[in-house]
Amino acid sequence: MVQFLQVDSAQKAQENPEYKAALTELLFQLADDDFILAYRGSEWLGLAPHIEEDVAFSSMSQDMMGHAVMHYELLDELGLGKADDLAQLRKPEEFRNVILAERKNGSGEYNDAPKYDWAYAIARHFVYGSIKQVKLEALRESSYQKLSFVSRKMLTEHRYHMMHWQVWMKQLANSTDDAKQKLEAALEKVWVDAGELFSYGKQAATIVGFGIVASEESLREKWYASMQQKFTEIGLNWPGDLGIPAESGRDGQHTPDLANALQTLSEVYVLDPQASW
Amino acid sequence: MNENFDIYEVFSQKNQSSSFAHQFSLLAPNAEIALVMARENFLRRDQCINIWVVKRDQIHMTSPEERGNLERLDNKSYRETKGYGDLQARWRKHKEAYESKQQPNVREAGER
Amino acid sequence: MQAEMNQSGLTQTISAETINDQQSDKMEAFLSRIDRGERIEADDWMPDDYRQQLIKLITMHGISEIMGALPEKEWVPKAPTLRRKLAIMAKVQDEMGHGQLLLRVAEDLMAPLGKSREDIMQDLFTGRLKFHNVFHMEAPTWADAGVIGWLVDGAAIITQTMSLDSSYAPYGRALQRICAEEKFHAQHGESIVLELAEGTDAQRQMLQEAITRWWPSLLMFFGPPENGGITSNQQLNMRYKIRTQTNEELRQAFLTKYVPRIFHLGFTLPDETIHFDEESKMWVYQQPNWEEFKQIVKGNGPRSAHRLNLREMSYEETKWVRDAILAYGRKVG
Repeated sequence: MVQFLQVDSAQKAQENPEYKAALTELLFQLADDDFILAYRGSEWLGLAPHIEEDVAFSSMSQDMMGHAVMHYELLDELGLGKADDLAQLRKPEEFRNVILAERKNGSGEYNDAPKYDWAYAIARHFVYGSIKQVKLEALRESSYQKLSFVSRKMLTEHRYHMMHWQVWMKQLANSTDDAKQKLEAALEKVWVDAGELFSYGKQAATIVGFGIVASEESLREKWYASMQQKFTEIGLNWPGDLGIPAESGRDGQHTPDLANALQTLSEVYVLDPQASW
Repeated sequence: MNENFDIYEVFSQKNQSSSFAHQFSLLAPNAEIALVMARENFLRRDQCINIWVVKRDQIHMTSPEERGNLERLDNKSYRETKGYGDLQARWRKHKEAYESKQQPNVREAGER
Repeated sequence: MQAEMNQSGLTQTISAETINDQQSDKMEAFLSRIDRGERIEADDWMPDDYRQQLIKLITMHGISEIMGALPEKEWVPKAPTLRRKLAIMAKVQDEMGHGQLLLRVAEDLMAPLGKSREDIMQDLFTGRLKFHNVFHMEAPTWADAGVIGWLVDGAAIITQTMSLDSSYAPYGRALQRICAEEKFHAQHGESIVLELAEGTDAQRQMLQEAITRWWPSLLMFFGPPENGGITSNQQLNMRYKIRTQTNEELRQAFLTKYVPRIFHLGFTLPDETIHFDEESKMWVYQQPNWEEFKQIVKGNGPRSAHRLNLREMSYEETKWVRDAILAYGRKVG
């Protein structure tokens, strides 16, 4: 229908309430996914297995949070409110991130006896990142030109991250038996949640209909093909179809992990959101 | 730990007009991991278009004793620009001599 | 380390005299190099006590950067805006990066003694290796994050700038990279502090409390005053041009730079006596409790055990990862 629709400004997007609603929904998904997983990544600061890796990992969390900020700013332009408010004042049920992004890094808290699982960190970032990549590639063709523009910019940085995660996946998978077992267990844990990353939630039909991003199925197909090949290259068994968690993050259903995370993330800001910080 | 990570020296190239420059060293279990960690450890704010990592024990270096011998006598002006500092003055002299010969002729021609 | 030195002492008894002569020639050459302002490289000959002094100083400096990441890290997710979350994440990352640079310098010095990063970590966990007093303290509010960035980093910049001219070249090179980034850290800290200082009454109060809380620790940061008597340890460092200024000289430079600024913002210090004495050209101030300082550095500060535990636990929890990638390298070659 609207295959060649091109929306080149926030103003134009706002002129069509249906378009704006669909676009807003997708932008919240993209922003919240990166924001929450970047937060999980940042919890590793100072605790990574090796000092040099600690430094390298932090850049990727920063980059991801930077991507989230770019999306929140697009929402701000659409009149949804300031980026800082969007990130810190919404209630958990208003968040659209997938459950995979909010899961804790392991048992314990980041400041209190953290027993973080590096295998889960690698597996989660690798799988999340590979799906983000097919999504960003599709978003280059988005009918919302501003989204297409930022997606192109993010891709370079993102590919650099993928190189990092892929090296780690390959090395852990081909090192000690212990590491391989831990990696496989982590992949299993990631696998049951990761299917949700292909979901655009309840507004999927309008989001795709307006050409804001390609269909869930087309992304899934692309990902399965490239991922199965990667698993073969790495020497890992293919775990089968991706699962979907019990809660639907895209519909605002979340685990207590998210509420805890948001409480931490907004702890200072909520003291006085009107103040300048 | 009986076994340790290796030391890798990191080099980077800023742009295509510049040569590779040494940055610093890092500890890594192998070259591949060294390479994926290198940029963020030493080039978080600087631009780079290419990175090398070299295992330190693969680098052959001048020994401390031999390093002193790298110094050379300062008597090689014949192969440096500074050894040819007189050229400009000489060219100027020739130019001035020529011009001073020309000018009277010009004047004479005008008077005629 | 002691064991190795004793061992080499044993083998040397055979022709102690010849070796002593050679050693004293080397020592003389070494000292005259230092006096000429030349810098020493990792593989140059150096006297044992020079190596030991450097190892002590640089491992402590490096591990302090790494332990210093922990109190600030508490504020990374909590930073009140997206921009501040990113900035403080980048700053803590830099601190880890500084730790990396310094540990690499220390590791190269320790290599001839058969020691590595693993030994540094174990020394930290057993309490043999100390870290700066400031990183044993609590940072209970966002203003503490600001004060750490502004004043703790400010204090660090003063000591690090002095050491830029260190006779040990690799340390100087590492510090050059570090000092360049510290400029960003100082701006980061000032920006947080100014925002609070120009903010609401509650924000100003939060900042005042943090300044009051951190003041004794900031004075302690430079170590006890010499009061005319310089320790043999300091004498050695000065003779070897490892450092060029005394604790008190550095503290005075800090006070000159920061006390006026604290007053300009309208804040007070928990010391009514502090003033600049025009005659002696020195700051006169109330001494912090130096006995407490000793206790803190020994690992009996309010957060010492907690942070050490955090560091040790994460190190042990991830041992399998280091083993795994090492094994991968051995397999692939």
